[in-house]
Amino acid sequence: MALQSAAGSIRTGLIGFAFLSYLILIGIPGRIGGSALPVLALISALFFWLNLRREAAHHLARNPEQGLEGDEGKPGWEIGANADSDRSSLHALLTARPGTALALRGLLAGLTTGLLIAVVSGIFAAAMGNGVAIQPVLDKIVPINVAALIGVSPGQIVQAEVSFIRFLLQILLFAGAGTLAGLAVSAGGSNLTTAARSGFLAAHVSGPTLGSVGRFAGIALPFVLLAYIAWIGLPGVTAFGTNEGTVRLLLTLIATGSGLFAVRLSRPGREQRIVAVLLGLGVVSMPFILDQFQNSVMGLVFIFVMMGLGLNIVVGYAGLLDLGYVAFFAIGAYTYAFLSAPFSSPYISGLLILMGVSPDSPLLGYWMALPVAMLTAAIGGVLLGIPVLRLRGDYLAIVTLGFGEIIRLFMLNLGELTNGPRGILEISQPALFGVSPAGVTFGLLSSQGWIFLLALVSSALVAFVAIRLNSSRLGRAWFAMQEDEDVAEATGVHLVRTKLLAFAIGATFAGMAGQLYAARQINIFPENFTLFVSIDALALIIVGGIGSPAGIVLGALALKGLPEVLRGVDEYRIVTFAALLVIMMIVRPAGILPSARRRTQGTDPDEAGFDDSGELMEGLVSEEQVAASPGLANGKEEVR
Amino acid sequence: MTALLSLQHVTKVFGGLTAVDNVDLEIAERSITSLIGPNGAGKTTLFNCLTGLHRPEVGEILFDGSSLIGLRPDEITDRGVARTYQNIRLFGRMTALENVLVGQHLRLHASHWSAVLRTRRQQEEEHAARESARALLRFVGLHGREEVVSTNLPYGDQRLLEVARALGSQPRLLLLDEPAAGMNPSETDRMMELVHRLRDEKGITIFLIEHDMKVVMSISESVAVLDYGEKIAEGTPEEVRADARVVEAYLGPEVAVQETAGPASG
Repeated sequence: MALQSAAGSIRTGLIGFAFLSYLILIGIPGRIGGSALPVLALISALFFWLNLRREAAHHLARNPEQGLEGDEGKPGWEIGANADSDRSSLHALLTARPGTALALRGLLAGLTTGLLIAVVSGIFAAAMGNGVAIQPVLDKIVPINVAALIGVSPGQIVQAEVSFIRFLLQILLFAGAGTLAGLAVSAGGSNLTTAARSGFLAAHVSGPTLGSVGRFAGIALPFVLLAYIAWIGLPGVTAFGTNEGTVRLLLTLIATGSGLFAVRLSRPGREQRIVAVLLGLGVVSMPFILDQFQNSVMGLVFIFVMMGLGLNIVVGYAGLLDLGYVAFFAIGAYTYAFLSAPFSSPYISGLLILMGVSPDSPLLGYWMALPVAMLTAAIGGVLLGIPVLRLRGDYLAIVTLGFGEIIRLFMLNLGELTNGPRGILEISQPALFGVSPAGVTFGLLSSQGWIFLLALVSSALVAFVAIRLNSSRLGRAWFAMQEDEDVAEATGVHLVRTKLLAFAIGATFAGMAGQLYAARQINIFPENFTLFVSIDALALIIVGGIGSPAGIVLGALALKGLPEVLRGVDEYRIVTFAALLVIMMIVRPAGILPSARRRTQGTDPDEAGFDDSGELMEGLVSEEQVAASPGLANGKEEVR
Repeated sequence: MTALLSLQHVTKVFGGLTAVDNVDLEIAERSITSLIGPNGAGKTTLFNCLTGLHRPEVGEILFDGSSLIGLRPDEITDRGVARTYQNIRLFGRMTALENVLVGQHLRLHASHWSAVLRTRRQQEEEHAARESARALLRFVGLHGREEVVSTNLPYGDQRLLEVARALGSQPRLLLLDEPAAGMNPSETDRMMELVHRLRDEKGITIFLIEHDMKVVMSISESVAVLDYGEKIAEGTPEEVRADARVVEAYLGPEVAVQETAGPASG
């Protein structure tokens, strides 16, 4: 048992090292700079904490009557104990002081990670000091990156002047991180035990436990972050130096994401409504606070939220795997472009002159063009839907994949109409009552801020419609169709109508997103609408949680927002996607925030046990509460 | 008594195999009729023809005087024919209540716009649908199981839920495909009692496939026997039981000879 648990700790350390290696290989330490080492240690502490907590909770789930205190006789340190007497006295000591065992486990894991990091960075440093070029093989392993990892200056690396003490410090830092994590878990231990024994409610009602403190902190977090983001944006306040823009973006992403959790953490009813409304106000004020760059990223994120919500109707609700979803995005974008950009096509210009309209001025404004773009995309959805009505699974995926490419190739080759690869330029900007708010708000709202605001409002609207539809008889018909198409039909579901509605509504949302995208980009080209857009949209709903609107927002924040934060390592985005998807599928097969329906599947009882007690300890809402509350609907309301 | 369902020369061919061969059958309103026959006799295929999953090559199916041939499954359900399945086919990840609500799909008419806007009419309809779904679950004996995800229900309850889902579409004719298959004796009794109540309290005509002869003989008012796609006998349970061709189909020709010879010599 002792050996097992030591092996477990070492394994945890190895996984931590693997994770950190990835960060090092893509050059994160070099980007963080001087404080890279403490940041990495902090990240690994967080990782150890999650792991140890999970182990402890697992243990409790298996031996509920024992509690945490009773378990501490089998810590990892015993691997070295060779005398039985030693063992029993230590056993007694540890039973009396449960925290020590967890701390030792953390220490072992931290030592493993630290040792490996020290060895690897030592090898790199030695190689560089002796003039061996690593960069041609691992392009981010440059002196600045390795130096940040060891905590010295790049010059010292190149001249091979790194002292041995540095590596010792490295090891100690990670070992300390592990120990801290262990202590943190044992500090929450008594609460964990109570919660596991008496259930969430008892622990919750019995006064200011760690659980309710954690809950309160969880709800407060997004507000604090939003306030902080606003504060560091004030003129005269400087923090993070040249990285300020990136840090603010990262904090915005975290604030928005944690907002979704905050709504879930709050008690259903009045508390939840108040939190949702306040957060909604906070998020809607973001476009006024952020700068042009951050707004443009957030705008893109929420354009993809709309895409995700639309694709979710087709894939998540109706269960029709659509790999050509970009087609409707392109249709929406090009429809708006046709209507609002000066016409380059001689045919259309000629036609317009005949009709007495000047070909140089936009035909329709943003709002007038909106229904046209939505309708065109919806028609596209139906046109795709009709031929694939009888196809299922793989066949459907392949045909839709082709459809997406067909639309892009049309745009590329219908040069007379679409200007081919040269694209459509000077697409007009959305205005409100004839003026663009970006120009008349005392400089508070940048042009990208205006796009972000529109994206926020539109995606809230889209989410609202999607959630309402899903909870109606149409949503039930979609889900029934996904479960068993033949039986659904025999039960009375009109398959043709139900499928086409899914395609059309999904396409409409993509059309809206496409139009906003065109307005954001001002100039659009066929290459904006490749297969990768479809894959991005699909990946974000899978990562976020198929069928769960709140999950989709998280997925978009993670998959469209984070790569912008990691601009410098953008070329590793695809690798990150892959790694993230693989990890997600293992850790949370139903997504970060799975829909109530999917989480009821109950995968692994052990895993469910962990989820329960893990969440109990943090004072999160219990599974049942989430399932019973209209949490999905409310979760989304914060962006409204 | 008029016939609610009438089959005339119904024939279904799969490649070279005639699964249903020139079957004529009449089912009276508010009756309980059983369809029996050895494995592979074409019983389920006949059900599939009735519910629009298969289209028979030859013949006519009249339900309440109008033809069902060429209608889509959902249209046939709309006319008032509902069914259950031999191997349970519930919407696994939906709760029991949701399964019945899908069953009611055809009887709900609120537009999708009204669902987005949550108009009062839509809300009222939805509320009424939930109430009647609960009532149906209570009727089949699944009271208190409304929110259980259907795959988590015990086997017998899943069969009952299939019946409840079928009832959601307010059928006049209910086709039960081996409703007692795999059930223990007490579950079987429950199911038989339910079938009786469906007919007596709700006035639904029952047409069922069953292998359990005890069930067939005690529940049916009339029995039809299929063998190799052909209808070989029809009548009351007693008549069918005594029919030489039925015994032959079930037990093989030699035994049949002994069976028929037995009483004659005795």
